[in-house]
Amino acid sequence: MTGKPYRLPETAAKGSRIDRSKQISFSFDGAKMTGFTGDTVASAVLASGRRVMGRSFKYHRPRGLIGLGSEEMNALIGVGEDGRKEPNLRATQVELYNGLTATSQNRWPSLDFDVGIINNKFSRFLPGGFYYKTFMWPRSFWEKVYEPFIRNAAGLGEAAREHDPDTYEQMHVHVDVLVVGGGVSGIAAAYAAAASGKRVMLADENPVLGGVADISAGDIDGFSQADWVAARSAEFEKSGNCHVLTRTTVVGHYHHNYVLAAERVCDHDPDLLARGAPRHRLWKIRAGKVIVASGALERPIAFANNDRPGIMMASAARAMVERYATSPGMNGVIFANNDDGYLTALKLHEAGVAVSRVIDVRKDVPSGMADAARAAGLNVQAGAAIAGVETGAGGKQITGVKIAPYAAGRGRVVNEEKVECDFVAVSGGYNPVVHLWCHNGGKLRFDDDIQSFRPDRHGDPITVVGSANGSFDLKTCVEEGFAGGETAARALGVKPARSQKKPAVKAQGTGPIQPIWFAPATGKYNEGNKHFIDFQNDVTAADLELAQREGYESVEHTKRYTTLGMATDQGKTSNINGLGIISDATGKRIPEIGTTTFRPPYTPYSFGSIAGTKKGELFLPVRRTAIFDWHKKQGATWEPVGQWRRAYCYPQAGESKQDAINREILAVREKVGLLDASTLGKIEIKGPDAAKLLDLVYTNMFSTLKVGKARYGLMMNEMGFLMDDGVTVRLGDDHYLMHTTSGGADNIVAWLEEWLQTEWTSLKVFVTPVTEQWSQFAIAGPQARTVLDKLDSDIDLSPEAFEFMSYREGTLAGYPVRVFRISFSGELSYEIATPSGYGRGLWDALMQAGRSEGISAYGTEALHVLRAEKGFIVIGDETDGTVTPHDVGMSWAVSKKKADFIGKRSLDQAFLASEGRKQLVGLLTTDPQEVLPDGAYAVETVKSAPPMKMIGHVTSSYFSPTLQRSIAMALIEGGQGKMGETVSFPLEGGKTVEAVISSPVFLDAEGKRQNV
Amino acid sequence: MLIIQCPVCGAEGDETDFHCGGQAHIARPATSDPDNIADGDQRDYLFMRFNPKGLHFERWRCDRGCGKWFHAARDTVSLEFKAYYGITELPPADVMKQATGQWADFFKQATAGRPAAKKAAKKTPARKTAPAKAKKS
Amino acid sequence: MSDAVYTSPLAHVAGSRDGADLSISISEVSDRGMIDLRGEAGSVKFRQAAKAALGIDLPLKPRTTAVKGDMTVLWLSVDQWLVCCPRNKAGVLTDKLRKNLGTVHSLVVDVSDARAIIRLEGDNAREVMMKGSSIDFTLPDYKAGLVRRLVFAEIAALAHIVTDKPCVIDIYVFRSYADYTWKWIEATAKPAATIGLFGAGSQ
Repeated sequence: MTGKPYRLPETAAKGSRIDRSKQISFSFDGAKMTGFTGDTVASAVLASGRRVMGRSFKYHRPRGLIGLGSEEMNALIGVGEDGRKEPNLRATQVELYNGLTATSQNRWPSLDFDVGIINNKFSRFLPGGFYYKTFMWPRSFWEKVYEPFIRNAAGLGEAAREHDPDTYEQMHVHVDVLVVGGGVSGIAAAYAAAASGKRVMLADENPVLGGVADISAGDIDGFSQADWVAARSAEFEKSGNCHVLTRTTVVGHYHHNYVLAAERVCDHDPDLLARGAPRHRLWKIRAGKVIVASGALERPIAFANNDRPGIMMASAARAMVERYATSPGMNGVIFANNDDGYLTALKLHEAGVAVSRVIDVRKDVPSGMADAARAAGLNVQAGAAIAGVETGAGGKQITGVKIAPYAAGRGRVVNEEKVECDFVAVSGGYNPVVHLWCHNGGKLRFDDDIQSFRPDRHGDPITVVGSANGSFDLKTCVEEGFAGGETAARALGVKPARSQKKPAVKAQGTGPIQPIWFAPATGKYNEGNKHFIDFQNDVTAADLELAQREGYESVEHTKRYTTLGMATDQGKTSNINGLGIISDATGKRIPEIGTTTFRPPYTPYSFGSIAGTKKGELFLPVRRTAIFDWHKKQGATWEPVGQWRRAYCYPQAGESKQDAINREILAVREKVGLLDASTLGKIEIKGPDAAKLLDLVYTNMFSTLKVGKARYGLMMNEMGFLMDDGVTVRLGDDHYLMHTTSGGADNIVAWLEEWLQTEWTSLKVFVTPVTEQWSQFAIAGPQARTVLDKLDSDIDLSPEAFEFMSYREGTLAGYPVRVFRISFSGELSYEIATPSGYGRGLWDALMQAGRSEGISAYGTEALHVLRAEKGFIVIGDETDGTVTPHDVGMSWAVSKKKADFIGKRSLDQAFLASEGRKQLVGLLTTDPQEVLPDGAYAVETVKSAPPMKMIGHVTSSYFSPTLQRSIAMALIEGGQGKMGETVSFPLEGGKTVEAVISSPVFLDAEGKRQNV
Repeated sequence: MLIIQCPVCGAEGDETDFHCGGQAHIARPATSDPDNIADGDQRDYLFMRFNPKGLHFERWRCDRGCGKWFHAARDTVSLEFKAYYGITELPPADVMKQATGQWADFFKQATAGRPAAKKAAKKTPARKTAPAKAKKS
Repeated sequence: MSDAVYTSPLAHVAGSRDGADLSISISEVSDRGMIDLRGEAGSVKFRQAAKAALGIDLPLKPRTTAVKGDMTVLWLSVDQWLVCCPRNKAGVLTDKLRKNLGTVHSLVVDVSDARAIIRLEGDNAREVMMKGSSIDFTLPDYKAGLVRRLVFAEIAALAHIVTDKPCVIDIYVFRSYADYTWKWIEATAKPAATIGLFGAGSQ
């Protein structure tokens, strides 16, 4: 649809925000359009003559602009292309720049012709709660029929599918006073608070401060409101203790005055973005005091078909004319229940926009504003309401309204008068924006004077001022703000360094408002009349009444049943009107009904800002060992272990991963391999009670360990379940070095500290993590000693001098080293540690020395297969937090001598001591080439379909190149008593694998290979 | 996001710089008499916890600061910290007095036959009164 | 055999960044030795033995440092300090501490290779810190000499404000996080992302 261009000539309206000398072009749904610097997409599209800017959620009705800023619920657009596309932006908030691409939403194939409008025709079948009524059965329809239908028909914009090329960031700041909202109240608050010298932050969601100061009547300190605002802004800029954030929406208030604010840094300025600024910045603010000056939002009036394009809020119509010199139409009517509508009427009239009628619900219209309107020659009709809207072009534009006398509580209307017009400016009074006040438990009370909820009590250091507090006249707004700022500073314990003079306000008083929750129509609801309450979710007065009839008495139930006040809008304009309808339907007063919960965020903010810097390679912290670059150069594939990246295997040219793994394993079994084991947790433990501590945290005994010797230890938690294992070495009488699993390193340090600090407080032990101090390598294989012997060392490596399970300190190839003769592969093996800075050097030296022996680096998968061949458990594979040492056949490591150690008593609890627990066994598949999947279930009896009784599961499963067959470990009920029995594992796709239960030690049960 | 102050080192910071260790003042049966623990006592020690609406007593660790454990009295409704005190101490007497329900019973037993309880609480060196909410250092 | 080859944690990121394309300059401090010292602050014997080895009193006030010559002692906890000295002196100093402390309950570990140190230098350094941690580095307490453990960019770190003018902050992170931390700072310290909080650092 195209209409007339609605840009007013400069002589009629200047347009305070726009610069007519700077024309910019943009596109809307592919159509080229122009606007001026300072325009929003809403003002520029409207100025071009386009009324329809979106389609509604459920009925796909054509919708036009309604609001002024973030409360806009109809004109939602997607902005940008490809990865930069952001959906669901309010056209009223999107500032125009050259080349901007905007697309309307929720329409197919086009905005002007939408197939989904058929929902409107069938709307009698889509009443409140229709999701619940329609899509419940048959159940099988849900996935294939209903869900795709709902997803296609409903919903808002579409998210980009491409990678977002822009950057985002977060910023933390602590301030003394945070003022939310930069209207005159907020400015007065910041002005007074900043005078104390305390740190003040003022955040406002608009590009400039002032709120509606520029389109409101009244003076401050003898200046126009706009000039007063400009003067204060300039002061803040220079102050050094008042930081102003514009284009920043405070989206949430949380415990202990933690506040989230979303700043749109570059959305208005592609050049800034190109220079590398973050697109959005999420502020995490800690405030001593929060002053809420979030203002008020004008509310619609529910009359028949009040959603037609051309019907908008009176304040929005006024702002369109005064800020953007854009007229909402050629000829309008004003529909109001309060004095503010008259200001719009007068401003439009002054700008040369025809206003053919001012319709006032009130029978007795207060003089003042009404007189001024009459004096200007406007036709004021009191005690009347709009009963209906006449439309043309398939509902896409209005041609007139029907006016009928109004008396509260009357049902159907009989007499009506038709007045031609192409737009309607509606003023149903103002609702304080109480969202932020309520996020963390602020209470509200209903105020009959303003016919709305206003803030009442709050447990946090937070106050509310101005129209957010329900104080709508300028004088109170400014005075409350100023007092709020002063009080906040005082409460923080400062005497103002300089005191500001309280601003003096001159403004005309206003008359009372008359509530109108419903303007009756001439027909019935189902005869084409829809009284919209929640425009975004297509909730009508009839839906709410139906919900009451169907027994959804609690307003929270009504909300969920009808979707009133849900989604991005969060009830900004619909909440009070909805309550008014419920009140009329139930006969309860609004305060008795109460409100629904206001939840953060106040407006949506981008996922980008939530992620901040944490994307791409910074998505998660990644830990690298000192050998990382070497692994990378060798073409390693990676295994994430906690935050570490460990080399999984090193495929060479032409090798598959499995080929590489097999080659690495055979190198260790037949020649020699080198493993980067630097990620192993390492903890130095020292003190007169160090041995005592170890005896308490390990299941086995460490006080008996001789100096220079190493012992494998098992750790349980207090519930008797395995949580860590590793080799601990006695460095001295009172000094141990503990090794933990890679994943457990940090936790075990914290675990030891916790017990020392909170339970065994008399033990004298210090614990220092040294994981990162050391690079540590395992050199394993029959040739390990041969390779080490080639390097200069002061350590005697001969089997007689350096026995299995012992420890030496010295130098190797000029590097300071700690050498542990321990083995996780079952082969002759040394673990060699050197300070991390020397790690790479020593690694290179070892690889060099081992070349003639055919040394091969091996990765974590080879490590796992090697240990599985030997039946060694891995915490987290064979254990899952419910497995005891007895379950994994390691009762030998559970001391019977020690009176107490962590988890000991729990092992005797009935559940853990019972028969038939799952026990660790080995599995040999009947087909040696068949490798069981990890986690496969063993069942008692294989049936054609589940359920089947599960008797265990596979914990580790590999192909062993050493044994040339598949091997696995599993936890099987009573498994240790079932050696030689066959168990069945039904897999996906109907296949069943059978395996024979065996010992989990598949290779060298006597341990000859490691002890040479 | 709570603000917490460590009574050991005085550092104040976001909840994420700390670690909550659950309910405070749970006695470990095995520490005193490992050979005589009834199944029920061990079960209670491991699994039974108070879940009060209102004043609660917890263990916290200055996880990213000095690394020390401490006790805190926190209101589970207002989320206000009423007191911080040492990891081996009972709460300050005035805070202990505000405890209700299971906690009131617990402290009654814990201080029974201990006339010095009040005095002991008073001289706790680590105790700090919780700062006014959201007050900054 | 050749001499041992030493590789610093950030050797793979070429040299230091002079700030031409960043709002601050960042560099790796690779010549610093570090000794983790544990002991009972309440023990006079411990304090005296430590002082005898270091030539300086241990800082006992939380989050403070003690400086003497080329040595700086950072307070880490009520029973833990990080002694920073030239890298080539760390071994000798470790031995000296152990010898002086003798049987006094303590734990001395040379951890010179456990951490990477990144130096942030420039007016915007505090702001960059605040983009990565919940601590406000513009508060009055956060002046030269302050040391604080914190969560920076989701990892455990230690920040030491070395000087105020020019603003120099050393961030200590465990070695394995060096590359991540460096890249995080590079991504965050873009000149166009400068905020100029409360008018600070703005031209």
